[in-house]
Amino acid sequence: MKPTLEALRPCLDGAIPAVVATCAPDGTPNVAYASQVHYVDAGHVALSYQFFSKTRENILAHPYAQAQVIEPGSFRHFRLRLHYQRTETAGPLFEYMKAQLAGIAAQTRMDKVFVLRGADIYRVLDIEAVDAHLPPAPPPSDALLNLRRALDALGDATDLAELADRALGALTPGFGIRHALLLMLDEAGAALYTLASLGYSNSGIGAEVRVGEGVIGVAARERIPVRINYRTGDYAYHTAMRAAQPDEPRIPLPLLAEAHSQIAVPLLHGGHLLGVLYAESEHDAFFSHADEDALVVYARHLAALMAQASCDTDDAEPTRAAPAAQPSGATLTVRYFAADHSVFIDNDYLIKGVAGSILWTLLNEHATNGRRDFCNRELRRDPRLPLPDFGDNLETRLILLARRLAERCPAIALEKTGRGRFRLHLAQPLALEAR
Amino acid sequence: MSVLLTVEQAAFLQGPVSINVAASSRDGWPCVCRAQGCVVGRDRKTVTVLLSARRGREVLDALDAGSGIAAVFSRPTTHTTLQLKAGCATRGASSAALRACNGRYAQGFADELVKLDYGADLGQGLIAVMSVSDLVALRFAPEIVFDQTPGPAAGRVLAAT
Repeated sequence: MKPTLEALRPCLDGAIPAVVATCAPDGTPNVAYASQVHYVDAGHVALSYQFFSKTRENILAHPYAQAQVIEPGSFRHFRLRLHYQRTETAGPLFEYMKAQLAGIAAQTRMDKVFVLRGADIYRVLDIEAVDAHLPPAPPPSDALLNLRRALDALGDATDLAELADRALGALTPGFGIRHALLLMLDEAGAALYTLASLGYSNSGIGAEVRVGEGVIGVAARERIPVRINYRTGDYAYHTAMRAAQPDEPRIPLPLLAEAHSQIAVPLLHGGHLLGVLYAESEHDAFFSHADEDALVVYARHLAALMAQASCDTDDAEPTRAAPAAQPSGATLTVRYFAADHSVFIDNDYLIKGVAGSILWTLLNEHATNGRRDFCNRELRRDPRLPLPDFGDNLETRLILLARRLAERCPAIALEKTGRGRFRLHLAQPLALEAR
Repeated sequence: MSVLLTVEQAAFLQGPVSINVAASSRDGWPCVCRAQGCVVGRDRKTVTVLLSARRGREVLDALDAGSGIAAVFSRPTTHTTLQLKAGCATRGASSAALRACNGRYAQGFADELVKLDYGADLGQGLIAVMSVSDLVALRFAPEIVFDQTPGPAAGRVLAAT
């Protein structure tokens, strides 16, 4: 029985270079190494087009090729008979291959040499198992079982904050993932902000990634999973962060200094992008094709749960208010910059954007009227807050704000008092300054 | 007519390099097979590569039918890559010396892969793939040598008749 292309996916991760044979119109053969043979679907692969080579010249004149790929772990060879279809120079497939090529290039110390110009799409006409008599490589871990374990650990939490934490915590028993981030798309759709993290010394709550930046940003922009199996500098965020304006307040992403494997999966629901689930590892080739499949399903399920949690109606009344403790101790100075809604506590950056604007509104309400109890519904109607008319992320912004406060300024706290309701606690007196 | 390989090129071709041989069949299909060792003639004008008859059936059939030959040699630890082409290749008989060459080559290449942290499994797999009893010697006189090391110089002709 001939192997299927799906069964060959472990051969198509760039661990061992493939070779591609072509021939010129006069029949002269050519053989060259291909750094990337990418699985497109059950009937197609894509080869990276990096240089205008003899292979490319031949393919454009005589569109047939044979690629030889090798199974890592067993060294069994497979030969694919290919028919060139077209070249894509933009779009999801191109972006995925570009990201993967960056990983392959870094692994082979070819960072400066490998640049993707196009994704050459080929139809697979035939697959030959050259070493069918040899034992296959040991099977990878069962991704379906991993997914089931992760879903069991995730449960069916209906509270967004709990869901966010469980979403990452469940990745460890499920997939052995120890470092992960959950990022949500902002109101403008231009950036993602970190709502929860797993396995970092600094939580990075509130850290932002621009859409299109790095593995996370590409996954968001193209709405595709992106998996890189080797350490690469091309998709690291340190560079982009250094390039950002030095005086711009920014919470650093807490990523591993040298991630050898990375995967970013979009959270999609009802045709909308909600955010991105990101995981990384210190080990090469940590995430298999099958893990990618399983994490795509996991992210879809998580997105549905998050969308459902966001739709639940708010409680009509807050829980009974406990007597407020009088703030005591040193006065904290809270500075607010209207230009970007950034908030500083005693000169230390806390938060900006929608979350900064919410905090400033709450503190002013409290200072003016003594109010401590608030509900989401009134915030949605508050003209001082830069929230869109539809599809706001108010609940996740409040979770982000509460977590950031707990980390950076425990003297100010937001306590959930019911669905869509919360209470402001102040342990120290505040001086509010708007700039 | 053949190019004269340099001493360095001859040593490179006989070192721990990945070797693949391509031909084109009578109906225009390109085909490729991994080779299992290489011997450069004393005069540095001929190259003999070793193939398994079973694994390389399609390539051997194409060469028997008059196809030209292309052979690519690449060292994984440096990415240094050469491609040699010739208008024809002839089959030669296997010999004890060639079988010994195959054994040395397989072990040397497996050791090279271990240096790249591919793991011992891959090296063992490679030796299993190359432990064959149906070796065929393919002899050709290179007519053109290309530098195919990845980078801006890839495709440069190093020697031609």
